[in-house]
Amino acid sequence: MATAARAEQARRFERLERLTQRRYLLLLAPAVLFLVIFYGYPVAAMLLRSFNDPAWGFGNFKPLTAARTPIEILGVSLPMNAYLRVIGITLQIAVGTTIATLLLGYPVAYALASMPMSRANLLMIFVLVPFWTSILVRTYAWMALLGTDGIVNEVLMGLRLIDQPATLLNTRGAVYVGMVHILLPFMILPLYAVMRGIDRNLMRAAENLGARPWQVFRSVFLPLSLPGVAAGCLLVFILALGFYITPSLLGGQRDIMISMLIQQQVVQLKWGFASALALVLLVISLIIYLVFVRVLGVQRIFGGGRR
Amino acid sequence: MGDREFDPIQQAQNRRRHERMVMLRDLDVMSRREVLRRGGRLAAGVSAASLLLRAGFPIVPTMAQGTPAASEIKLPEYGEIPANLKGSGELRVISWGGALQDAQRKAYFEPFQELTGIKVVESEGPDTSKIKAMVDSGNVEIDVAEVGYDGVLLLLKQGDYWNKLDYSLFDTANIDASRRHEFAVDMLPYGTVIGYRTDVFPEGPTGQKDFWDLTKFPGPRTTESGTGGVLPFLEGALIADGVAKDGLYPLDIDRAFNSLSKIKSDVVKFWDAGAQPAQMLNDKEVVMGHSWSGRVYAIEAAGAPVKTVWNEGMLSTDVWASPKGSNAENANKFMAFTLLPVSQARLCSLIPYGFVNNAAAKLLPAERVAMLPTAPEYKDQMFDTNVQWWADNTPAVTDRWNEWILE
Repeated sequence: MATAARAEQARRFERLERLTQRRYLLLLAPAVLFLVIFYGYPVAAMLLRSFNDPAWGFGNFKPLTAARTPIEILGVSLPMNAYLRVIGITLQIAVGTTIATLLLGYPVAYALASMPMSRANLLMIFVLVPFWTSILVRTYAWMALLGTDGIVNEVLMGLRLIDQPATLLNTRGAVYVGMVHILLPFMILPLYAVMRGIDRNLMRAAENLGARPWQVFRSVFLPLSLPGVAAGCLLVFILALGFYITPSLLGGQRDIMISMLIQQQVVQLKWGFASALALVLLVISLIIYLVFVRVLGVQRIFGGGRR
Repeated sequence: MGDREFDPIQQAQNRRRHERMVMLRDLDVMSRREVLRRGGRLAAGVSAASLLLRAGFPIVPTMAQGTPAASEIKLPEYGEIPANLKGSGELRVISWGGALQDAQRKAYFEPFQELTGIKVVESEGPDTSKIKAMVDSGNVEIDVAEVGYDGVLLLLKQGDYWNKLDYSLFDTANIDASRRHEFAVDMLPYGTVIGYRTDVFPEGPTGQKDFWDLTKFPGPRTTESGTGGVLPFLEGALIADGVAKDGLYPLDIDRAFNSLSKIKSDVVKFWDAGAQPAQMLNDKEVVMGHSWSGRVYAIEAAGAPVKTVWNEGMLSTDVWASPKGSNAENANKFMAFTLLPVSQARLCSLIPYGFVNNAAAKLLPAERVAMLPTAPEYKDQMFDTNVQWWADNTPAVTDRWNEWILE
């Protein structure tokens, strides 16, 4: 008798819990609705276009598979064409930018996180002000700095390090400089957020137990900051994949990224092919995202440091 | 002016100020174009930045400074305008912004509103892909757009996107038949010309062969790209390779790209925004470059040691066109009004683009006419682009370009 009452009670409790959970879900509704209408639908319509504009089928993907200039890697001839090569260049630039922002951003975030809050907030302004300035203006500023008569060349020549102005502008290097500058805050901010959340007592404990500073950093701080590293890298990498203005203005002849080809096709009203290229970009981004999630877990990437 | 002493420092400062002004104006125009291309994603950032720029620099963003003489220029005045151009309601026009639209406002928009009673509503950044989207979604927000004729033809291939023009409203007596199309009318001729640094080459290049001559005229160059909404200057490449300028079309694409390959390593930048070649010439990033004529003139007028070579330049023209579903009646009246000789002469006085109504030449001082791409003495030196060929062959050229640039 008692067990039956217990079971009834448990069932009722479960039902109540499910109901509350569903109510929580209701709170999500406005955001979900907004995303479906203003994000989901346009993306879906755009992707559909890659299969049905101008006609149903895979015609828009043909230029991607046509092998026009095969390249040889380790004696194996691989089918290659401009579109695949541009995708390769895009990935290369995105990876390079991500690594550079990480190497530059990590020490900055570490320094900021180790400071008293008031000073860190003050110094944070230097990270945030460029962040609020238009990409185009910052790119133009780099053009002025890196030009033949630019400040960088003038300083180098003034110091007699070089006698001829160096070619800095319109190179892959200039693309990296511009993109790293623009994307650095996207690396520093998540790193800083995670590092702030790390309990400093853990490091003190490690020191107490006889660890040297480097050991403390390597075996305690670094692993705890990894979620920040993952979040920053993911953000920077995916943003870098879609860059347009900076590589277009600072880059040389061969620094073409996929967004430039998409724009080229949109202007020429070949929207189907442009959508196909966008689909490829989206699939690459999704694969990278899934790899990150698989290796680190969403919880760890976006869940903060106390774990 | 005569009593003012010659002060080199003052002069250098003035020149710097002008240069900065021109660069910022170009940047402004460009940012608007880029923003529209990127679907407005950067809109907030850019407008915030231009506010910052305006707050930080003592610059008044008007063309009175950009083209020094603008305020002193005496513009031809309208007499009585044809009665059938008068009307009511509004006319929504979209142009390229910047110095060009400032000039159009003074030359066309303001007098049109005043004399016809039709209110002009302006916007900036026309783009055929945007017009396609407007017509497709049935949400047409403009009546007249300034676009390239190749864009009009390209869109016509995809369907019924443009209104037919009603030439009964136009004063066509002095407008060549070749400038009047079924779905568009020429309105702004411009040249694709060579600009070069006079401090590097006192004896400058005289044509495309010299542009390709890397021994006689060594140094970094810039020419048009095949990405970013512009097309490579294949005509120039063919002329340099020995093709006569009246026998260019149909273009031999292979031969043109082979010719481009010869200067490829000396082209430091293939540009895709009109501001770029002017900025690179101005900053001496290049010693010569292919550029749109108005842009070279802008830095020349601001004092840069740069000169234009009209010979073997290409004459192209923007057109007015009116999308399907717009107010066709007001659109026709507006287009007809802007092509009146007085309107044309007013615009040519404010900004050095060409005229399509030949009667405009009589209303302009001879020295002004000599600055324009449609000046009679340049007509024999230049050649007309073949828009139909480009509309038919752009995909093929683009495919080829994408392979070639990565070679």
